[in-house]
Amino acid sequence: MTSRLTIRVLGALLAFAVLARIPAGFDVGFKFDAALAVIWAFGLLSLVLLTGYVGQISLCQATFAGVGAYTAGMMVSSFHVDYLVAVAAGVIAAAALGVIVGLPALRLRGITLAIVTLGIALVFDRYVFQDHAFEWFTGGTGGWRVSQATMFGLRMDSSAHLMAAYLVLLGLFCVVAVLLVNLHESGAGRRFRAIRDSELAAATMGVNLTRYKLLAFGMSAAIAGLGGSFYPLVAGSVSPQPFWLFTSLQFAAIAVLMGVRYVPAAALGGAFMAFVPDVLTRYGHGAFLGHAYEISYDWFQIAVGVLLIGQLIALPDGVWGDLRGRVRHAWSAAGSVGGRRVKVA
Amino acid sequence: MLRVRDLTVRFGGIVALDGVSLDLNRGEILGLIGPNGAGKTTLFNCISGVIPPDHGSIYFDNHSLTFAPPHARARLGVARTFQNLQLWGSMTVEENLIVPMDALGRRNTFSDALSLPFSAYAERASQERARAILHVLDLDRYARTPAGDLPAGIQRRVEIARALAMRPGLLLLDEPAAGLDARETAHLAELLHAVRRRFHVSMLLVDHDMSLVMRVCDYVYVLDFGRMLAKGEPAAIRNDPKVVAAYLGEESEQPAGDIGTVVQARKEELPLLEVKRLAAGYGGLEVIRDVNLEVRPGEVVACIGANGAGKTTTLRAISGMIHPRAGRVVFAGRDLTGSAAEHIAKLGLVHIPEGRGLFPTMSVEDTLRLVSNTAGHEVDVSPAFQLFPKLRERRRQLVGTLSGGEQQMVALARAILSRPRLVMIDEMSQGLAPTVVRQLFEIIRVFREQGIAVLLVEQFVESALDVADRAYVFEHGTIGLSGRAVELRGDRKLVAGSYLGTAVDATAIAASGNGHHADPALMELVSVRVPARVKRALELRAETEGRPAGAVVVELLEKVEHE
Repeated sequence: MTSRLTIRVLGALLAFAVLARIPAGFDVGFKFDAALAVIWAFGLLSLVLLTGYVGQISLCQATFAGVGAYTAGMMVSSFHVDYLVAVAAGVIAAAALGVIVGLPALRLRGITLAIVTLGIALVFDRYVFQDHAFEWFTGGTGGWRVSQATMFGLRMDSSAHLMAAYLVLLGLFCVVAVLLVNLHESGAGRRFRAIRDSELAAATMGVNLTRYKLLAFGMSAAIAGLGGSFYPLVAGSVSPQPFWLFTSLQFAAIAVLMGVRYVPAAALGGAFMAFVPDVLTRYGHGAFLGHAYEISYDWFQIAVGVLLIGQLIALPDGVWGDLRGRVRHAWSAAGSVGGRRVKVA
Repeated sequence: MLRVRDLTVRFGGIVALDGVSLDLNRGEILGLIGPNGAGKTTLFNCISGVIPPDHGSIYFDNHSLTFAPPHARARLGVARTFQNLQLWGSMTVEENLIVPMDALGRRNTFSDALSLPFSAYAERASQERARAILHVLDLDRYARTPAGDLPAGIQRRVEIARALAMRPGLLLLDEPAAGLDARETAHLAELLHAVRRRFHVSMLLVDHDMSLVMRVCDYVYVLDFGRMLAKGEPAAIRNDPKVVAAYLGEESEQPAGDIGTVVQARKEELPLLEVKRLAAGYGGLEVIRDVNLEVRPGEVVACIGANGAGKTTTLRAISGMIHPRAGRVVFAGRDLTGSAAEHIAKLGLVHIPEGRGLFPTMSVEDTLRLVSNTAGHEVDVSPAFQLFPKLRERRRQLVGTLSGGEQQMVALARAILSRPRLVMIDEMSQGLAPTVVRQLFEIIRVFREQGIAVLLVEQFVESALDVADRAYVFEHGTIGLSGRAVELRGDRKLVAGSYLGTAVDATAIAASGNGHHADPALMELVSVRVPARVKRALELRAETEGRPAGAVVVELLEKVEHE
């Protein structure tokens, strides 16, 4: 057990060391994408916990991230607190909303739960993030502008310190990822998976459904909110658009595409979500065989749809999940042939 | 220990339980039997907390359980298994056991996520206890297998193991013998006795398999229409005229003489269905291979064999629900190999799958009228009601609300309306009360009289052989033996030595695998892993030497080990 823990921690450290260097040579736009990738990866990670582990469907993860973002923005702009405090406030606010959203999940499952969470995303999208009544929270039509934030007492300025923000985000992501993998193998993780496989059996075997479902929703929302609360720092401002309904749907689609049960798939998905549209809009125009073409952001949506269909047919456990399974299979096959070990019993 | 008083449950206008009282003392195994729809499962769900009662009370060890949520009951020591298996399929067997153990412990999510030493220690302790329970139930070798990948018989045992992991005082067993063949049921009975000895639990057992109930239970309650019909010692219950009338039905002696002549007469005719060297499977697994069988017009043919022998897969491959990998299926002179299922159905080959394949939210009449759509013209549904008068009364009722026996009638009625030439029925009697099963087998006779051929897959071997002209015995994905039903019935050695085990009493089991009580793995080796011919050779040798087959196997194994 302890050795597995060591391997996980070493793996996370290695991932951090490698990923931390990659954006160093990027221009500002791609540095922004790198930081954004981690924010989206947090959103996907929240689905790994909620859908992958506990089997609950949610179509409002971007709303949780948005609540985290707006809370952090409000704390920094209105109360001028240290950014760490703002992040903590964002996480707490998102977790609280998560528990509230979890309440209907006590009764509902499957498609009805999906519709309810969709409704919540819609309400926040239209009537909270874009409504005058909540200007104290959203900072009005322009949203919050965060230009003078400080963290650890250091001055953080969004344009000049994207790299620093990226490193902090990446570090936090690695920590949360290790915690989630630990959780999966532990007692609480097993109870979560028990709820996923059969709620009826879980309840009669002593698992308190109310507690664990609310816990799952709360933790999931907190993870999404943790990522979201860094958004003002990275982007310099908060607006409703990144956290609208469609982002939630995109979270769900990309989580499934990459493998909703696997933590590293969230990182993969985050990078996909942040970089691909930007690359498309930057380089996706020119001339081919004399015909001018332009690949806009819309093409990204179509690409996700097509990839999703292809994945569900060819890689049903998600890109990460299936490739991992295949590598393991090949590895064990090679091992048994090489070692000439015959399995007994 | 468990005290149920005056329990009443209503679903809409239907009274599922009507003032039921029940007492269970410490260390007792209590049986609960009754026809389908009598309220047994409802009573179970009330005790385990899935359904709140409308009236009445439930006490367990002087704690009121009446309104406690399910997980609270679990903490008090009430564990249960499920009729339709509810294991956590993606988790390993060991993990399945650890969940209830530490759900009752004092560990929390945050220490687990951080892998604190305290959590790791509790984890090891749970693992060791899980191993111990698995060892007692002889499940050690499956500890690391995902529970969903195991065959149904093993899953049933894992469910019991999981329930025991809660350290229960009371174990509720909901149809633990459903889908088990006679040999597995005999195993189960022994297992339950062992569980009582080792874990000091009381049990409440619901099952249709009277051989299990009679052998295991100290006391039996009989439910009928939500009321307690009778209670008493198993032997007394068996002879109670009220119970016999409502549930068990009269034992009937079957005249077998006339069937022989029918078989002779049909021998001349061309086969209606001819299956040659059929092979099929799922994913990487080949379940059946080299299956040859034929059915002549108007003939009733039974497929029997242990669980997992490939009977259901064979039916599916014939009806086009799965694609055969090799071999040919010829029906009424046409090669149907690999044809689409709906095409095959139109030719008059109807498949009633396990679980009946009905639409629960459709009324009986609509279900029957649906046949018109597939037939392409309006079909008169009255013959179905003539055959099943009970369905006429219920024709407006939704199929999902019917009892299991009535649902099976709807499936049969639907099949007969499409004017089939061959009906394939998979596990017709699963989960049904003995009286209902008997009625359904009568219907099979009606089918035969009308010239409809029937291919049966059946767990109740004796009933199937009663009604069938011929039978095929499946073993390990192929046909091990075939012949006239009468002859197979008479072949006592086969019956006792193979899985058939009509005589489900302890003596038959002991005779076939003497000395194996101590080692179920060996028993499995003898009765499952060995090809039929080797097995028969073993039995032959055992007979000539006048020793039990098990002793011969042990001797041979020792010889091999010495060399």
